[in-house]
Amino acid sequence: MDNKPAIQIKNVRKSFFLPHEKHDTFIEYATNPMRLFRRSGEQYDVLKDIDLEIYPGEFVGIMGRNGSGKSTLLKIMAGIYEPTSGKVKVNGSMVPFLELGVGFNPELTGRENVYLNGIILGMKKNMLKEKYEEIVDFAELEKFMDMPLKNFSSGMQVRLAFSIAIMADADIYILDEVLAVGDVAFQEKCFDIFRKYKSDGKTVILVTHSPGSVKQFCDRAVFLKDGVLHYYNTIDEVTQAYING
Amino acid sequence: MNNYIELLSQFISTDFKLRYKNSYLGIVWIILKPLALFGVIYLIWSNIFHMDESYKMGLLLGIIIMNTFSEAVLMGLTSLMSKAGIILKIKFPREIVVFSAVSISFLDFFFNMLVFVIFSIFTPINTTLVGFLLYFLCVLSVFVLTLGLGQFLSVIFIKLRDIHNLMIVILQLIFWMTPIYYTLEMLPPDLQKYIKLNPLTLVVTYARKGLISGDTVRVEDFYQIGTVLLVCFAVFLLGNMFFRSKVSKIAEYF
Repeated sequence: MDNKPAIQIKNVRKSFFLPHEKHDTFIEYATNPMRLFRRSGEQYDVLKDIDLEIYPGEFVGIMGRNGSGKSTLLKIMAGIYEPTSGKVKVNGSMVPFLELGVGFNPELTGRENVYLNGIILGMKKNMLKEKYEEIVDFAELEKFMDMPLKNFSSGMQVRLAFSIAIMADADIYILDEVLAVGDVAFQEKCFDIFRKYKSDGKTVILVTHSPGSVKQFCDRAVFLKDGVLHYYNTIDEVTQAYING
Repeated sequence: MNNYIELLSQFISTDFKLRYKNSYLGIVWIILKPLALFGVIYLIWSNIFHMDESYKMGLLLGIIIMNTFSEAVLMGLTSLMSKAGIILKIKFPREIVVFSAVSISFLDFFFNMLVFVIFSIFTPINTTLVGFLLYFLCVLSVFVLTLGLGQFLSVIFIKLRDIHNLMIVILQLIFWMTPIYYTLEMLPPDLQKYIKLNPLTLVVTYARKGLISGDTVRVEDFYQIGTVLLVCFAVFLLGNMFFRSKVSKIAEYF
């Protein structure tokens, strides 16, 4: 592959407007019409000047405390949010797993949800038909597929969701804390998938709170703190920075 | 592009299926509901008010079209919001959400028309091939119009929730500004002028003409409905432009 970055993030800033008074009712506007034009609140910078280049085949970990802006960064990479300023360039097909089981509906059966979720993730219906048995086998849910999803335990739902997700074929995967899935045996299966992504030369961005998985899978890691990216030379330094906060 | 169609049809079939989950009669309601509803209207207007045959069928057709219009506008309006969970997690062409919601209303329309055909066994209608074409163009106009309005309203609804209640009132107003229960001729001439400005007046009038009295269709009718269709396409394009310019920023306002 050439050395064009798979994901290039340049000077990305993202700010959200945080209103101070949440509920503006008509009465409030009527008694003080100027409010319509001057909404009180502040711009809050969730991400400040993010620069990150991820090359094809890299397995990059992003660590950071809750509220440090990890999810916002992922959503910007995935094209769900637009950056306030700066640029994001993605080369290649991308599947973001910001949540497992996107679109799952509790009233539909396991089988119906496989097709719904699969197509939302960009898979073709024919391909899903072919892979259906494989998905069900992997999830170990043969007996339950014609039951409504609401009768699945949460562990079963996550297993089904994960089994669909891994069928997605893309160049770039974005994984948001999906490692903490199921029991030990199932986790081991998931790790096998990560190893497979790695050996297939896929680009993976992994957000996790587990220093162990970062050390095990990532080639490189960055530490996000209060919307600023901190770079370190080694993964150990990153996990150390994360542990120290 | 292939996935665009698959996603659209997946959203349509899922949301359609979900409506009838957990009910005993399930999918039977698609036919049963309009059958019962129109049965009530039909019986009232035959036995109590003794209206003539063409009035009754025209009334049914008018109600079907206006209900579809209202339903499609409201479904389109809430479409983005109701798919917020998916929109926040994955990138896909957002307009699919609006198109699928509006399409569901037109699937309902199709089943309502089947019921209309059942009623036409008792009260024969007089349609021709040309008449049917005129009718089809009327339905197409409403479809295109609601797709356009849906794209406008769905975006506005995210920031301004009041629009939902407001639209319910406006739709009620539009219903009574369209000759459904009354005919244009019943109104004083100066009021007729204003009622005719409502594109839905023309749609309902020509749909009735095409489907119920097909032999009276003239070429001029096609010019008229062609103009309406053009206006509807203009609304669609404006709605689409508005949607495209706003929708990329919508995720953070849910």
